[in-house]
Amino acid sequence: MITQNDLIRYFFVEAEEHLNTLIEGIEELENKGFNKDTVEALFRATHTLKGSASLVKFEKLVTVAHKLEDLFEALLKGDLKYQESFIYPIKNSVNTLVTLVNEISQTGQEKSEINKALLESIENIVTKKAVPTEYIEIPTFEVMPILNTVRVDIGLIESILTSLGEVLVQKNTVADKEKQLNDILEEMSKSIKKLLNEINTFSDRYWIMTQEKDQKVIDSFFVDFSDLEFDRYDEYHIFLRKLQEITNDINESLISLFELMNDISYTFKNLGREINFLKDYLLEMRMIPIGRLLHRISESAKDIARKLGKMIDIEIKGSDIKIDKPIFDSLYEPLIHIIRNAIDHGIEKQEERAKLGKPQIGKILIEAKKEGRNIVIKIKDDGKGIDFEKVKEIAIYKGLLNPNQAQSLTKEEILSYIFAPGFSTSEDVDFQSGRGMGLNIVKTAISKLKGTIEISSELNKQTIFTVKIPQSLTVTNLLIFKSRNIEFAIPVGYLEEILYLEDFPQLQTERVIIHKNKTIPVKFFSEFFFSSNGKVLDKGFIIVFNFSGIRKGLVVEEILGHEEATILPLGKFLEGLTQYTGYFISGKGTPRYVIDPLKIFEEEFIFASVQDKSFEPYIYTGSVLVVDDSISVRKSLQSILENKKIRVFTAKDGVEALNILENKSIDLIITDLEMPIMHGYELISRIRKDLRFKDLPIVVLTSRGTKKHEEKAISLGADGYIVKPFDDNVISEILKRFQILKNNLTTQ
Amino acid sequence: MPEEVKEERSYCVFGVGDREFIIPKENVVQILDITKIFPIPGAPDYIVGTLPVRGKIIPAVDLAKVYNIERLNYSENKLLVIEVNNEKFGILSDITPFFVSFESDIVVEDYIDPEKLFEKLKVTSPKSQIKSKE
Repeated sequence: MITQNDLIRYFFVEAEEHLNTLIEGIEELENKGFNKDTVEALFRATHTLKGSASLVKFEKLVTVAHKLEDLFEALLKGDLKYQESFIYPIKNSVNTLVTLVNEISQTGQEKSEINKALLESIENIVTKKAVPTEYIEIPTFEVMPILNTVRVDIGLIESILTSLGEVLVQKNTVADKEKQLNDILEEMSKSIKKLLNEINTFSDRYWIMTQEKDQKVIDSFFVDFSDLEFDRYDEYHIFLRKLQEITNDINESLISLFELMNDISYTFKNLGREINFLKDYLLEMRMIPIGRLLHRISESAKDIARKLGKMIDIEIKGSDIKIDKPIFDSLYEPLIHIIRNAIDHGIEKQEERAKLGKPQIGKILIEAKKEGRNIVIKIKDDGKGIDFEKVKEIAIYKGLLNPNQAQSLTKEEILSYIFAPGFSTSEDVDFQSGRGMGLNIVKTAISKLKGTIEISSELNKQTIFTVKIPQSLTVTNLLIFKSRNIEFAIPVGYLEEILYLEDFPQLQTERVIIHKNKTIPVKFFSEFFFSSNGKVLDKGFIIVFNFSGIRKGLVVEEILGHEEATILPLGKFLEGLTQYTGYFISGKGTPRYVIDPLKIFEEEFIFASVQDKSFEPYIYTGSVLVVDDSISVRKSLQSILENKKIRVFTAKDGVEALNILENKSIDLIITDLEMPIMHGYELISRIRKDLRFKDLPIVVLTSRGTKKHEEKAISLGADGYIVKPFDDNVISEILKRFQILKNNLTTQ
Repeated sequence: MPEEVKEERSYCVFGVGDREFIIPKENVVQILDITKIFPIPGAPDYIVGTLPVRGKIIPAVDLAKVYNIERLNYSENKLLVIEVNNEKFGILSDITPFFVSFESDIVVEDYIDPEKLFEKLKVTSPKSQIKSKE
């Protein structure tokens, strides 16, 4: 139950807002004269202020606000024509309101007496008895020390948050680099240790060796010299000693570098923490206690109950939990919908409750709780509950559920069908447990907030709706994964658990897993997004989602981790790709497309039929690798070859060519001889040395016409030799000779 | 689509395969070297992928696939970034795009109206995508 103190606290937040509206409105009224919008705002502010003040029983406030309300209402309806002199009593009254609110905030009580003359003068205006004279002193408004707050344009906070999103990206970049740097240092340190070790063992060995050798010499000639006096250091010794010293120096520097790195890492970690604080504070700045919303909802609920002739008692828990402004704004509708349903269809009439032995007054509990970065709102009523057999019946009848499938579903899963589109419409007879009305709309609204809704119920006892929404929409916690070398992200909001593919060997054929006594249908991400033909994955992960009680699995090849990011919209050009909710760019500069998991499972494969075309646009008759440092040669060869439906790969030099050869299947190589980095001769001999390519035809295309070059190329393993310039016929000859055109010759 | 150009205006010339197109200079935002294009699965085949530029992505369009010009390799391409109503997208060009000015009353072949192109190429809902393919 909300305590009186809670109520007073909300009252202040609200009162501040309304007083500000009043002050602003009056200023406008004074400067610009009568304006319908201004007066309407003033009217609404006084009306609401009156309402909230009466809730917390501040009678003086109620009286003054009420009088003002009457005045504004009369002006609004046109019963009364605005005159400039009205402003003085209005200003005075508003000032009284401000004073009273201030007093309440300081002492908890309304101290000042209301100026009766003031009230009277307002009443006189309304009843048109008298127009105020201008002698009434013009008040200056008191500063309101109600709460220590400033008003900030939400757009500004928005900009700061966007900026912060960028900071997070940069931070992630630095974090990546930091890791790389550490790895390099680690490697360097290992190498240095090895080097030092080598030098030491070598110098030890060398020392002994020379000593042994020297001994003989010393013995015969210099017996009188002691070892210490004799300088047996030759140049090698000196060199070794120096080498040792330098290596030691490097090692020392490296140790300092390590210490420095540790310092940096530590500072960076602190920086990261501060950024997180900053983010949290900023987000909180935009947040509003959910109590204000729940309070409003409970007021509306009481109205609804009154109209339906039902007795209810509403309890609110967790009102001090804060939520993001945009979520706050869009949560009212879905929540009130659920409550309306609960009162209308859930809570029984008094007589009926009495018969059932339930307390006569129906009880509705609204409870907000924070779970990690999510807010969980539970709405529980002690009404009829929902007959899940009935739900099953209807779902089957409406063709939403197939009867065989229904057997294997849990009660929870069956209940979730009441959220399905088309489950219930207003034309439907209100079925006994009747909750269907428009719950699909509720679910859609919650989904838009990246939230989920679940339902559980016990017949004749209770129904609980559980709404789970992220506390903030700006920064989303995402799971990053990779498929076909493209990076994707999925909001963790729906995520329940991640399993290893290896633990479910039957998955490849059956497409379902049985986990924790639940049968979970599973889809393969790569098949879904790339329409690939079921390449069997031996390793991977199953991401288990929980969509409002229905669990689904998604198999991905590789999971890269968690990240927090601001999701950017795809923009008008790509917004038709509804499978994505947006994207963000990783610290390494790779775009990561954010997937809407609902689309994967709910929109039945609309885009699965979009073929993999962007990756393999043509059917080729063969593939040729063109190696030449001249772009014009590459391009003209490419166009000749592509006209013959041949796939062309191009490389600027031998090294590039070898790389392509590693990754692509090539039927013929046409190479130049003179190229930077790796020339043609070397390329040919390298290819020939590799057993995989010993039969791969290689044709040399060069401007060197002399026999000498041709012989050298052939001896290295080239199969053909063309002297530039070349034309279509020459190339056709070559293709024919090496049978690259296969069955396509007739079309040419 | 041939179009008559009334006043003297500046255009940007770019190439797709062996064809050249012109587009009003005002719509050209920048010309980028293509380092790497990241494919975006599910997009129509003329969208070869996206290019990250300063924290945002720019979709890259291959007009060869739109006008049926045969050409495959993107190794030497530039990306001509076009802006239409504050939305950016890029067109692959096989040549480094350059600017020209035309006298009035010259009929120009292969003139591209950026807005029409944008409307033609932007991804609509997945359903109509399939239809257009058939």
